[in-house]
Amino acid sequence: MTSELLASKKNNTGIQFDPRTKMAVLFTLVIIILGGSFQTTLYYTPALLPLLFFLFSKMWKSAAIYAVTFLACLCLQFFAVPYVPGIPGYLLMIIVLLPLYFSPSIAIAYYFVATTTVSEFIAGMERLHIPRQITIPMAVMFRFFPTVMEEWKAIGDAMKMRGIRLRGGKAGAILEYRFVPMLMCCVKIGEELSAASLTRGLGGPVKRTNICKIGLHIQDILFLLICLAGLVFQIILWIIG
Amino acid sequence: MSNRLQGKDFISIGIYTAIYFVVNFIVSLLGFIPIFIPLTAVLVPLIGGIPMMLYFTKIKKFGMLTITGLLIGVLMLLTGMGYWCIITCVVFALITEFILKGSGYKSAKMEILAHGVFSIWTIGAFIPIIFFRDSYYANLVELGRADYADALMSFMPDWILPILIVGAFVAGIVGGIIGRKIFKKHFERAEIM
Repeated sequence: MTSELLASKKNNTGIQFDPRTKMAVLFTLVIIILGGSFQTTLYYTPALLPLLFFLFSKMWKSAAIYAVTFLACLCLQFFAVPYVPGIPGYLLMIIVLLPLYFSPSIAIAYYFVATTTVSEFIAGMERLHIPRQITIPMAVMFRFFPTVMEEWKAIGDAMKMRGIRLRGGKAGAILEYRFVPMLMCCVKIGEELSAASLTRGLGGPVKRTNICKIGLHIQDILFLLICLAGLVFQIILWIIG
Repeated sequence: MSNRLQGKDFISIGIYTAIYFVVNFIVSLLGFIPIFIPLTAVLVPLIGGIPMMLYFTKIKKFGMLTITGLLIGVLMLLTGMGYWCIITCVVFALITEFILKGSGYKSAKMEILAHGVFSIWTIGAFIPIIFFRDSYYANLVELGRADYADALMSFMPDWILPILIVGAFVAGIVGGIIGRKIFKKHFERAEIM
């Protein structure tokens, strides 16, 4: 069972969005929620966006998980955190605030990578006139994150069998014994990956073509306007406050 | 061999950036405990030195590290470290790029120095805390994190910025030396590169 970040084949249903729209929504959410100024009301409204996107693409399960997590944390934040004193309160606050703070961005990022194929991503970036010097490393990177994590876990298991763990009295060795095999694996996989891409014409001198049909439709324009409004609102808040 | 970046180089950039970022991310998770926040500026270069030194030996053309810097900056923005990292990443990656180019991409000593310079990008995550202290503090309090905010502010006085720069640089050098040692011990012998 391998997990993928950017999907390699298309499997989404429901209303489709252009990759550019998804990227715009992702960046808007990140800038508004994580980027510094989070006035309370402004914070809870954009948190609805990931839910909308999940519903549009009929990802019912993800929508339910996201809604329940967010609402539960919100309730705890209002009704429990202010009343628990001392260190337990502090721990509870961290446990509650982390998902509250990060879940909208994680949800929208998950939506983005689950519904966008690598080709669509590259096509979208090409339409934005972002040079391939940036898009190709980016696509490779997204392809590679799950691999790195997988190798990291597998090597961790192997090292546990040898008794190299934090409590085993060999903590100093962890760094070397875990990093070196992981790097070796990644370098090898990387070499295979680049050989595979070269056979598919990545190194060719001509402009690459793409069969993905992407384009801005009415739903894209609607959400782009929402993003624009959100960003303008945020900038006004920065100027005022 | 031409000096322009080829498909193979793009893939190397993607792979090493991914490895470096995963390392970086695991280390930064410590930052939720306030005392570790200033320490992340030191820990990231210290541990990130291992993949970076491997990457530096792969770099033979101008531009690869700048793209890495840009990508790391964007990823830092996406994971909530603020947009200042984009600026610091690109600036320090460019400086590093010139150091590497100046040494002809061959000198191990210059690579260690280059890693020290590159590591200074980590201060990007702290710029909003120091330069926009009041609004940052107000935001944290508004989110109900008053005690976290107090703790954070007491660990991050204004004079910490130069210390962080020096700390990141020194940690980058030490990380580079460790990375170089590991590289010699394992990778060169196994003829991976």
